[in-house]
Amino acid sequence: MADEAETGWSRRDFVGAASLLALAVGVPGAAAFLSGLDANEAPSDRQVSLMREVAQLVIPRSETPGAGDAGAGAFVILALAHGLDGTRKPAASAEMPFAFPNYQRPDGSLRFVDWLENTLDRAAGGDWLGKPGEERQSILAALDAEAFAEGADAHPWRKIKGLILTGYYTSEPGGALELRYEPDAGRFEPKLPQSPETRAMSNDWTAVEFG
Amino acid sequence: MAQEHDFDAIVVGSGVTGGWAAKELTEAGLKVLMLERGRNIEHQVDYETETRAPWDMPFRGAGDAELYAREYPVQMLNRHFTEYTQGHFVNDVENPYATAAGTDFNWFRSYNLGGRSLTWGRQCYRWSDYDFEANKRDGHGTDWPIRYADLAPWYDKVEEFIGVSGAAEGLPQLPDGRFQPAMPLVPVEQAVRERIAERWPERRLTIGRTANLTQAKDGRAECQRRAICARGCSYGAYFSTQSSTLPAARKTGNLTLVTDAVVEKVDYDPKTRRVTGVRWIDAASKQRRSATARMVFLNAGSFNSVHLLMNSASEAMPQGLANSSGVLGTHIMDHASTLSAMALMPGFEQWTTFGNRPTGIVIARFRNLDQIDGEGHSRGFSYQGGALQSGWTRGKREAGIGADFKAGLRAPGPWRMVLVAFADCIPRASNRLTLDPVKTDANGLPQLKIEFAFGKEEQAALADARAEAAAMLTHAGGKVLMGFDRPGTAGGAIHEMGGARMGHDPKTSVLNRWSQSHDIANLFVTDGAQMSSSACQNPSLTYMALTARAADHAVGLLREGLV
Repeated sequence: MADEAETGWSRRDFVGAASLLALAVGVPGAAAFLSGLDANEAPSDRQVSLMREVAQLVIPRSETPGAGDAGAGAFVILALAHGLDGTRKPAASAEMPFAFPNYQRPDGSLRFVDWLENTLDRAAGGDWLGKPGEERQSILAALDAEAFAEGADAHPWRKIKGLILTGYYTSEPGGALELRYEPDAGRFEPKLPQSPETRAMSNDWTAVEFG
Repeated sequence: MAQEHDFDAIVVGSGVTGGWAAKELTEAGLKVLMLERGRNIEHQVDYETETRAPWDMPFRGAGDAELYAREYPVQMLNRHFTEYTQGHFVNDVENPYATAAGTDFNWFRSYNLGGRSLTWGRQCYRWSDYDFEANKRDGHGTDWPIRYADLAPWYDKVEEFIGVSGAAEGLPQLPDGRFQPAMPLVPVEQAVRERIAERWPERRLTIGRTANLTQAKDGRAECQRRAICARGCSYGAYFSTQSSTLPAARKTGNLTLVTDAVVEKVDYDPKTRRVTGVRWIDAASKQRRSATARMVFLNAGSFNSVHLLMNSASEAMPQGLANSSGVLGTHIMDHASTLSAMALMPGFEQWTTFGNRPTGIVIARFRNLDQIDGEGHSRGFSYQGGALQSGWTRGKREAGIGADFKAGLRAPGPWRMVLVAFADCIPRASNRLTLDPVKTDANGLPQLKIEFAFGKEEQAALADARAEAAAMLTHAGGKVLMGFDRPGTAGGAIHEMGGARMGHDPKTSVLNRWSQSHDIANLFVTDGAQMSSSACQNPSLTYMALTARAADHAVGLLREGLV
């Protein structure tokens, strides 16, 4: 397997690493679902660390865990490998107003993790992960600003950020600590006062569906 | 009663109407065999994902997009299809259908006990004489041989049994029913209702009438306001075959239920001009089985009941069973539907909600009632939707990272209002089902081929709907963000119907006013296939009422020795 030789990863290594990752981030089921990844999609150790850090910068730790703490980085890797939010469609990269020939699979879809790693390293002039925290944050913030500028709708960072949010708010720390999770409401209250302290229900399904 | 037959009646299908047929026939004392092509799903015990949190799901509830693209490319487009509910939908690869060149039709299916009653949207609206007289008035399709008065007592019966919550409004175009207490409007919806009424007194926004219990009944608990119905509800709080009609049928001791039974043919005896039973393939063993009965009810779902009639062609009926008219398969319909408007609704930031209300709102049809006031269309449309506060997913559209970004997503977001239009679909002969001449399914049976296109009437109705939705929400203080006037892909309303239409004339229709074959007195088709027009209301309640009515008629005929 050429890819295996190139990456230094075998499927078995990957399953093992996924299990360790799951233990480290404390995400039930993570081992099971990461073990389902194609070996070609296996991330490097560095990429796993990088995605965790990126997730944590998007949603940092406060009185509740951050997105990296909650395993959102691992979820993003899984989600990208399986094409959630249309990320395995060739169109996902074809629509982008950028040229990413180095990060495209043969079918035209984008290798988002490779792209992000390289983009951050380039912006850092080297090892983004090795930079001080403030610099890492400022580089990521600049990428975020670029992606959400007018006319950049198809920017790949938007997909990654969206999956970080999915990973976080569907995790137990994000869904039930940062927000409220009310699986058995038992009633519907149509008119309650809202204050700045009101925490949204992570399982307000209509809100989740329509944003 | 069965005597020389295995059963008094065979019911093909266990969904919304199959359950009703089984209930009504068994309660009348008939020995009934109900055949379901899919697997068994036992109420409560088989709702495997019902109580799982997102973090207990491998893909957090979103599901494996790679798998879906490969094996569920159509079903994944269903709003109710998620990682939680994927087991309640068919695998598209294993259950193929064909489409004609130029046809794009999403056929959403659930091949399991309960059929789509497990995953349906639960909206229950009576039709009115504006609907039953529509074909006669504008000349499209064939005149319905029934009117509202024929069906009203059966609507009563169905609503009282399944439990429908809603508010009486006194609207002739959307008749009131036997409602359980309504679920409440939220402040935005209440305000929009009032502002619309000020400006357009003939227009009425009301709470969606839904088959979710607001009062416990018959061993079923009140709705827990979870809005996860399509996973299956152990409380039995929404109507499904499992929660409602199947227990009633089983209670009689007269029901035999066989799942994994793919019916391939209805047997017909040309000498007596009666159907004699059905043949099926056991999905697991692939063995062929059969049973006889004094009558047969087809409740396989609109398109599959037509498919079965076509597959039951014989030397005596070479065009398909019960098809002396030649119209079998024609005049199929699905509501033309689109998002007419989504608007920001400022001024309500001080209010929020608790719980998940499992229904939205409806704005009853106001167009083309006593006078034709639609431009380019002669029928109706209505809106469904509701007000919602945006949730954490709004962060996907917002710039920012870090502590402030996180804090900004903590509270519920701005209020918005959504109006989705459902427009009448004109019954056209060119929209039709046929047997594909080449493609076959896993059992070697010809695939069903769908040929369908919306026409200029539906386009005009949705353009009208978009303009009026924007006008109403703007008048109510909203800022319209988007709206569309082109219908979504056909099939998307999941109200596909027609193909074995009811009518006065045996030469131009398949069924008579009792949902009974013109050609074959002991054959009934009581699912959506019988519909002669589509109205713009959700049709399932009408299917159920027609089924109960047909079953009552069939039992009468049986007792009188006429079938």
